[in-house]
Amino acid sequence: MFEPVLLRNVDVPDGHLLSTYQVGGGYQALTKALGEYTPDEIVELVKESNLRGRGGAGFPTGMKWSFVPKAAGKPKYLCCNADEGEPGTFKDRIIMERDPHQLIEGLAVSAYAIGAETAYVYIRGEYVTAIRRMEQAIAQAHENGYLGTGILGSNFKFMVHIHRGAGAYICGEETAMLESLEGKRAQPRLKPPFPAVAGLYASPTVINNVETLACVPHIVMRGSAWFRGIGPDRSPGPKLYCVSGQVRKPGLYELPMGISLRELVEEYAGGPLPGRKIKAVIPGGVSAPVIPESDLEVGMDFDSLAAAGSMLGSAGVVVIDDSTCMVKIATRIIEFFHHESCGKCTPCREGLNWTVKVLRRIEAGEGETGDLEQLEMLCKGIFGNTFCALGDGAAMGLRAALKHFREEFVAHIEERRCPFH
Amino acid sequence: MTMREEIEAAAARYPDRRSAIMPALMIAQKEHGHLPGPVLEDVAEILGVERVWVYELVTFYTLFHTEPIGRFHLQLCDNVSCMLCGSEALLKHLETTLRIKKGETTADGVFTLSTVECLGACEMAPVMQVGDDYHGNLDNARLDALLESFRAAERVASVERAHPPSPGE
Amino acid sequence: MVKVTIDEQTLEVEAGSTVLAAAERLGIEIPTFCYWKRLPPLASCRMCLVEIEGLRRLQPACATVAADGMAVRTNTPLIEETRASMLDMLLANHPLDCPICDKGGECELQDMVMAYGPGESRFRDPKRVFHSKDIRLSPVIIMNVNRCIQCQRCVRMCEEVVGAVALGTVEKGMDTAVTGFEGSLASCDQCGNCIEVCPVGALMSFPYRYRARPWDLAETDTICPHCGTGCQLTVGARKGEFMRVRSDWEHGVNCETLCVRGRFGLDFIEGRDRIKRPMIRRDGALTPVSWEEAGEFLRQRLAAVEGRAAGGLISPRLPNEVLYQFQKLMRTVFRTNNVDCSSRWSTPLDILAPLVASFYSRGALEQVIGNDCVLVVGGNVTEENPVTEYLLRDAARRRDTGLLMLSARPSRLDADARAVLRVQPGGEAQSLAAVVAALAAVADEGLPGDIPAKTPSSAAGANDALDRLVVMLKEGRNVTVLANVDLLRSPLAREMLQQLGNLLQLLRLLGKEPSMQFLFDRANQMGAWDMGVLPGVLPGLGPVADEATRTKFERSWGAEIPCKPGADVDAMLELCENGRMGVLYVVGSDPMMSYPDREFVERALGAASLLIVQEAFFTDTAGLADVVLPAAGYGEESGTFTNNEGRIQALRKFREPPFDARSNLAIFDFIAALREQPLQLSASAAVFDEITRLVSAYEGLTWEGLGGDGAFTRSAPRPWAGAPFAPPPPTRVTDVLQLITGNCLFHNGYVSERSQTLNSVADDPFIEMSARDAARLSLSDGDQVLVRSARGELTAKLKVNKRFPDGLVFVPENYRALRLNSLMRRGEYPCPVEIRACAKAASALEEDRV
Ligand SMILES: Cc1cc2nc3c(=O)[nH]c(=O)nc-3n(C[C@H](O)[C@H](O)[C@H](O)COP(=O)(O)O)c2cc1C
Ligand code: SF4
Ligand code: FES
Repeated sequence: MFEPVLLRNVDVPDGHLLSTYQVGGGYQALTKALGEYTPDEIVELVKESNLRGRGGAGFPTGMKWSFVPKAAGKPKYLCCNADEGEPGTFKDRIIMERDPHQLIEGLAVSAYAIGAETAYVYIRGEYVTAIRRMEQAIAQAHENGYLGTGILGSNFKFMVHIHRGAGAYICGEETAMLESLEGKRAQPRLKPPFPAVAGLYASPTVINNVETLACVPHIVMRGSAWFRGIGPDRSPGPKLYCVSGQVRKPGLYELPMGISLRELVEEYAGGPLPGRKIKAVIPGGVSAPVIPESDLEVGMDFDSLAAAGSMLGSAGVVVIDDSTCMVKIATRIIEFFHHESCGKCTPCREGLNWTVKVLRRIEAGEGETGDLEQLEMLCKGIFGNTFCALGDGAAMGLRAALKHFREEFVAHIEERRCPFH
Repeated sequence: MTMREEIEAAAARYPDRRSAIMPALMIAQKEHGHLPGPVLEDVAEILGVERVWVYELVTFYTLFHTEPIGRFHLQLCDNVSCMLCGSEALLKHLETTLRIKKGETTADGVFTLSTVECLGACEMAPVMQVGDDYHGNLDNARLDALLESFRAAERVASVERAHPPSPGE
Repeated sequence: MVKVTIDEQTLEVEAGSTVLAAAERLGIEIPTFCYWKRLPPLASCRMCLVEIEGLRRLQPACATVAADGMAVRTNTPLIEETRASMLDMLLANHPLDCPICDKGGECELQDMVMAYGPGESRFRDPKRVFHSKDIRLSPVIIMNVNRCIQCQRCVRMCEEVVGAVALGTVEKGMDTAVTGFEGSLASCDQCGNCIEVCPVGALMSFPYRYRARPWDLAETDTICPHCGTGCQLTVGARKGEFMRVRSDWEHGVNCETLCVRGRFGLDFIEGRDRIKRPMIRRDGALTPVSWEEAGEFLRQRLAAVEGRAAGGLISPRLPNEVLYQFQKLMRTVFRTNNVDCSSRWSTPLDILAPLVASFYSRGALEQVIGNDCVLVVGGNVTEENPVTEYLLRDAARRRDTGLLMLSARPSRLDADARAVLRVQPGGEAQSLAAVVAALAAVADEGLPGDIPAKTPSSAAGANDALDRLVVMLKEGRNVTVLANVDLLRSPLAREMLQQLGNLLQLLRLLGKEPSMQFLFDRANQMGAWDMGVLPGVLPGLGPVADEATRTKFERSWGAEIPCKPGADVDAMLELCENGRMGVLYVVGSDPMMSYPDREFVERALGAASLLIVQEAFFTDTAGLADVVLPAAGYGEESGTFTNNEGRIQALRKFREPPFDARSNLAIFDFIAALREQPLQLSASAAVFDEITRLVSAYEGLTWEGLGGDGAFTRSAPRPWAGAPFAPPPPTRVTDVLQLITGNCLFHNGYVSERSQTLNSVADDPFIEMSARDAARLSLSDGDQVLVRSARGELTAKLKVNKRFPDGLVFVPENYRALRLNSLMRRGEYPCPVEIRACAKAASALEEDRV
């Protein structure tokens, strides 16, 4: 049995209180970092650990930090991406609700590493409990000298602020999040310049996911070799998997990176509902292309999933069984992306609108021959041509559904009805 | 704290007052229930920012309402995980019980029914958010019980609204 | 420099250039929608996607910086397919109502679909419809949301260039729509630049709506008649009837931008008070007559005043050729140097002429403000020279120019400035002196010899803004000073120009290569000076007292020129009042409306033996005339204007003078002939040639050479002689409210009030003051208030301006009904006033109290 690291306090009563966190060795990593390491050494340590971002893209965290210019001048910012909008994902909420100090300690150590004095935690607006718990925890940490000026007797100065989102999936995209933090409509920004050079208020900014930051104190405490020893070397570490959908034991599981999808779904999450067979699994939130049952041996890490034509994304594992119509799933997913498109670029805004119209038609049994070619044409027009990755995620997902479950689409068109009804 | 003071406190967290438009709108919405034009003008005025910036945000983000909504906003998730766990049937049940369609408010102004995108609580799908709280693992019976508890709370609140406690009490 | 290869052609471009710019240099066309030259790239329309070797994805050419060795392809099948696909998607929800769309025939989407579109759209679902009706966002702007393709040019223009932040974008995704706060543009500048940059028929001009199809319009490129920025514009007319104005991103100081006056304020030419026929005063009343009768009348009256003093006053809104010919007429036919070109102030020529000769930079504003430090003195650029302001904002925001403001009146541009020095109304001269003293003090070692010691110290106290401003000036590599010409209203105008001279000279000594330009509020004020429409100088600003200068003109004109400097406007009016003026000849000018002390002006004009008024419109001054001659108006006479930059541009007529009106030049001929002393060369082109021969700054220019962008007159900077001037006497600080005036955004001078469109967007006549002063006087925004000076009173609506300093009151000079000049006293500015609630409102208040 894998010993939980990130979730170790989650089921402890009052896990969200400072006292509980301290009992479990809380804020020792911050003490150690401030006492024993220079900021550059922390960056090195995180680089060596091969920690890759848990927000979706899997970018090496230490490398991202090292892009922040060393020179003094403009203030530097740390932003924590707690927007968690990817359907099928709920890991960050659970960390913030049940073990907020773990994140605050992660923020403090990371801010020390990159030279930031201010962090904004961008929490989606619906997460009211998480916001309250985080606010309480920040206040407690501040009172106890883990935040503020002269932290733990050092000359490190650091404050965390919560920025509450207001309901827009696109705010999870890091540059859109910066726009939102600056009080603008959340639309992605052009890159370059990259946020590490000119991000929030045009200052150097690092954006990391909640889970990514939560890993940092553990790396400081236990070393980079320990971290790299868990799972595949190029994509290592303990990992939170959010399992939901048509499965016996939905929930949040902490397991090593690289565990097979089949093992996760069938053993840990209890397999399909009684009398049902798994048809497909979405491995990383709805932006990740669906994987048919036959391919469930794939390892749950960035590289293996990419090789299998999907992605780890946010590790939102959605299980779909044989009672469910894939056309309906595809339609619902494209409706989601259409609803959440920020509206900035043509292919995403207009292309998804068109795609939704075609899919709804097919689902309603009003599709025509040529509609699948039209969908493929639309995917081609959207994929790779949108401003940010939202449109890509939509097109990739639809392509995978068309590829693996084409017969279901064809049946809808030929029978002029949904065969599942 | 007055609304102005709360907004000022929020603004102090940022180097640029424009950043405080979102928190200010949250504060104003809590105060007024929704965000009509004059409230938006107030927010712009307090922060000293362009009015159209405030207007842009209030329309971009789904948690802000420019129109009044029911006292209990039932926000049922209909994204994939919840759909796989039966949220469609729940929506039908709510629509029949409340005799409104999604997007509508009951005539007594108590309930507004909406479907929303993934609430980030798929482990307890199907889920519904009402006010600040999440309610998970829903079925028709649980929904009925929830609605009853909201109605009861509303009865208490309406009595209080009719007879506000005197300052001396 | 970096080397890039595009479609197998290689070229070198400057580091930082985009692929789009590089392709343009090679003549390779890449389609774009959201790209707009003046704006930072958005890269949202995805029309300009290109292939870049080594990159998996297509990249937007508009936002991709060319890197050394980059190989780009713009013409592959994939790109063709992608462009067609983007257009197909844009068309999916586009209404395709081209036949009834105002943009039909000049629509970028239409053109793009023709060039790059898919053969046939495969979209067959119902289209989105936002609103079935168009939305009237303002009196001049109307929006069809369905046609919008979300390029965001309009919104970016409004915020980044105009600085108005009136337009915004609401909702998201497919519901995204451009609009104003709560669906209205009530508080916008109404400049219509959003309409100009809209590629489709989404944002449209309401006044032009459904009035014509583009191919039915005769279009004429000309210059805006309003302020001295001198924007290029294109007038569309149908059979001589004015229809609309466009601007062109390729031409002029303004490129695609205009302000509300330029875009919507040209319909003043259709004003109802046009003078149709000549008029003469008979039995006390003005009576319409024929030109012959008027001529006969004039011949007799002129003969009667032969030998007595004469004077001429002409408007700086008239073309150079008219202005030049007028002073020549006055100097040679009327044998007088009594000529002036402003009806609002007298110019202290002794200091002005050397200042212009030493420091005036005749060069593109774009370049002049590219200097890393720009000091704007006086006025309110935002309202008086809006398009100049756009350029200044751009410089401050995108070119890192340090913008410094020194003025009594606050402006929107202050927000982009690094230092704002708010001065006492009328205290500009003193503040400039303080700047000079402080700069000399901090720049001590940078100065040769005993300059610092010789620079008089200033009485004005130091403050933070002054310090910051001075540090910026000291640290700037090159400094530009832009001076609002409104400062010339002040009795301290001479001192102001002296201190400006001190400052510029100091900057020159510090190696800052200072450039100076005036911010004129009249279209051809610079030309009027250059043409010598001043009592003490001849064309080219050479002193009339200087024999060599005079001889040059005498020889060319074949007539003698009086050697003594003449009377300026003030002195001429005084001559009139004293009964010593034989004939006063007023062309296009209305001192009754604009010269301080209306009563005095009325008395003076009434006392002139013969008052000739040559005008397009019936002004108050015309009402006092003995003879009124109907002249061509704007758009009815060709010529040239010289703008603030010293750029000379072609003013082209787009119709003939209506009724019995004649061109101004023809009327001068007519007058000269009455004195049996014909002027030579009265055709506009010939006058222009003469100017280019005799005025050195204009030498060598040709009409053909003016092209679409005009040509620059030349400056040959002369050294600035003499010791620094002493600072002006300290202004007395009083707690009396001080009234200043100037132009408001929606009007220019007092002719624009004839524009119906401007009147529909402009505020009612108003009085602006600070929130504190208003509160002190128990007044609130929108109250009807009474302004009283020692001379008179007026009432108007109060506008409380939070940015206003205490003690300052501003009343725009543009509202004829206010008769603002009846409050003013000659030689006194700012004007001390008292303000209180209007009698009516006050009595209502009393009743309330009872
Ligand atoms: C459309 C879109 C939505 C995203 N949503 C989230 C999100 O909800 N949470 C998150 O952490 N990252 C999200 N990301 C990824 C972020 O852009 C970014 O890569 C991440 O926050 C970086 O943190 P990390 O390096 O720690 O993963 C999203 C990306 C895209 C394109
Ligand atoms: S013009 Fe260019 S590139 Fe531009 S989006 Fe439009 S995107 Fe581009
Ligand atoms: S995600 Fe916004 S348009 Fe692409």
